[in-house]
Amino acid sequence: MSKIFITGIGVISAIGNSVAENHEALKAGVCGIKKELDLFPSKYKGLMPFGQVPISNESLQNKLQVKEPGVTRTSMLALHAFNEAVRCSGITADDISSPETALIGANTVGGMCLTDELYHDANTSEAGSEYTHSYDCASVNLFLQKHNKMQGVINTINTACSSSANAIMYGAMLMQHGFAKRAIVGGTDSLAKFTINGFNALHILSSDLCTPFDESRKGLNLGEGAAFLVLEKEEDLNGKKVYAELTGYCNANDAYHPSSLSDEGDGPYLAMQGALKIADLTADKIDFINAHGTATENNDEVESRAMVRLFGTPPVFASTKGNIGHTLGAAGAIEAVYSILSLLNQEVYPSLHFKNAISSTGLIPVLEYKQMPVNHVMSNSFGFGGNCSSLIFSKA
Amino acid sequence: METAELKQQLKKQIIEFLNLISVKPEDIKDDEPLFGEGLGLDSIDSIELIVLLGREYGIEIKDPKEGRKVLTDINTMVAYIEEHRTK
Amino acid sequence: MYIHKIYCISPQQDPLQADIECINEPVDKKLLAVEPSYEHIPPGVLRRMGKSIRMGVGTALPLLDKINPVDGIIIGSANAGLDECVKFLIQIVDYDEGQLTPGNFVQSTGNVIAGQLGLISKNKGYNITHMHQGLAFENAVIDAIMQLNTNPAHSYLLGGVDEISPFHYNIETLNGAYKKEDISNKEIYQSNTPGCLPGEGAAMFVVSADKDAAIAKIKAIQTIHTDDVELVKQQLQLFLEKNNQDSDEIDLFISGENGDTRTLPFYEACETLLNTDTTVLRFKHLCGEYATASAIGLWYACQILQTQEIPPHLFKKNQQKKRTGIF
Repeated sequence: MSKIFITGIGVISAIGNSVAENHEALKAGVCGIKKELDLFPSKYKGLMPFGQVPISNESLQNKLQVKEPGVTRTSMLALHAFNEAVRCSGITADDISSPETALIGANTVGGMCLTDELYHDANTSEAGSEYTHSYDCASVNLFLQKHNKMQGVINTINTACSSSANAIMYGAMLMQHGFAKRAIVGGTDSLAKFTINGFNALHILSSDLCTPFDESRKGLNLGEGAAFLVLEKEEDLNGKKVYAELTGYCNANDAYHPSSLSDEGDGPYLAMQGALKIADLTADKIDFINAHGTATENNDEVESRAMVRLFGTPPVFASTKGNIGHTLGAAGAIEAVYSILSLLNQEVYPSLHFKNAISSTGLIPVLEYKQMPVNHVMSNSFGFGGNCSSLIFSKA
Repeated sequence: METAELKQQLKKQIIEFLNLISVKPEDIKDDEPLFGEGLGLDSIDSIELIVLLGREYGIEIKDPKEGRKVLTDINTMVAYIEEHRTK
Repeated sequence: MYIHKIYCISPQQDPLQADIECINEPVDKKLLAVEPSYEHIPPGVLRRMGKSIRMGVGTALPLLDKINPVDGIIIGSANAGLDECVKFLIQIVDYDEGQLTPGNFVQSTGNVIAGQLGLISKNKGYNITHMHQGLAFENAVIDAIMQLNTNPAHSYLLGGVDEISPFHYNIETLNGAYKKEDISNKEIYQSNTPGCLPGEGAAMFVVSADKDAAIAKIKAIQTIHTDDVELVKQQLQLFLEKNNQDSDEIDLFISGENGDTRTLPFYEACETLLNTDTTVLRFKHLCGEYATASAIGLWYACQILQTQEIPPHLFKKNQQKKRTGIF
């Protein structure tokens, strides 16, 4: 089967509008999570911290030259990252619009960032808002497709917080099985009253900065952002610059509870193990794990246990949720970009806000920026419905 | 309100709130555990029941550990409601 | 990829009802699914399920065999969980972001059907949900083909589910998706107005690479998303050249025609590429239109290949021809 290489990356998050800005912020251990929320009125404004991308919708519209009505923030964040990824890969407009180029995008909120508009449109028989075509998750990718005149396989994946890891996996498989020559894959999500209230109702939002893998962690912070990757096959590279190779991927289900992971962490364990198998690597070859590490009581303990179960002594690991919050459908893709940065620059970034190890496992994440040999990075994403995915990126 | 009446009312509210299809108020025993055994409710239900206590009786429970104690069975819930209700 | 087991829930008690006079008609302009009693779903789980989740899980469970469990679950659904989303949204507004019950939120995630199926059947394998509107089920089919290419000894549950939720119906009505006038599904193909008749349902399949005793084989699939009729025609021509070298092979074309004047040109363009004696069938008068109705279309294809019987009201043209292969 063809080897799959990443030839372009793009990202926007609370710590930067580009790959370069995100890279600098990761190195410096910048936290983009603040008790600020300017996107919509909410009771939680000023009370809870959020990883908001510090650009207004108007600025995004201007910057991206979006002129048509009904384009949501979720879609604009996606386009911002998409544009950077294709620019970075150097693929042409003709390549993008070729029937052989697939577009696989993930998100979980779609147009539901417009909570009040959706409430209105779902309940009115009068004139709808400009957003009646933009609420579902697919609308984001239909926008990207139209904007870029794309004709290849198009798909939207929503498996909650593992969505964009699965989008990357699906894109790679389309290429390996002859459904596409190249794929542009990624994920996006914007902050929404919907998710803020949802996670809060489950009592897993922290009113302080989240503390991944810390003994006294109190829950997650929500963030927003987007990332896209351009995937190309080895035989089509013609000597062009590559950022990393996608060597392993696996999705498995924990089959335990709709919104939390089992004590033994079968889902996370099977996903990590399956990705190693596809990559044909033994566990000791993984140099760094970009953990899911949401800082909920349940996730971090179970993920730690699953890492110990698979690795014995786990390799160096960290969570970037302390930098940008949990970006839900974008998390897998944003963290794929961060994993690739580690491989490219042979370095790892500090996991923020950690104080004491979880007593049952004693695991301590990376606490300081350091340079080290990084050949294989595993990136984990786990979501509701027991959905667990692991990707492995390797030095090209 | 008499305790017996409150118990009956609470059982009806639980059935409606959690959409316990095919469960009747008389099926819920006062001293039978609501979680695990007995009704077989789970962690999401426990959060829903805390919301029920807030909406129907004006009771705010912030500490999940206290919540778990309160929600042991109908007797513990009713005792707590009688002591803490604000409406 | 071979299809081994099939099951569906649709607006028809008997989806292959021979007499058109006996088919269920729309109620309040909607073709609503006839739901069974769901005896396979544990009552403790059923109480939290919205309609699309019930239909999806209720269609899948009868196919899931404890002795030969499937290795993964692949679902296509454009709007799974949307109804629960809006219910949660209403809570947010009604209680002004106060104390909210999380049940709707947990059930609102797009992957709720595949997730519940994994949970109930204790299936720890591949578990995925494709949500790309009208191509959600088609992407699920592509996914299943790729999984089986990679793991030829595996079998997968593959399905498509969508419901007419009150809120989605409302939004799609604002979008002009549906017919404004009252119309019987028996006369839907004579309609000369834009808009379709909304329907709902679920169809599930167990698929594997094993051809022994299979009901049907999916030989090839291709998707395209465009509003250009000529491009569809051109791509279908290429698809047929690639996958159907013997042009006599296709006896039957199952058309997605739905009485909407806006989409009719696409289906008619497809018919022009077939042999003049190819039989053409239509099925949307039975299930209505919805994003994953193609899953029911596949269910019909499987049933017809298995029984070699076709209710007369499905025919559009060439009722007489002998049938062996299906497109």
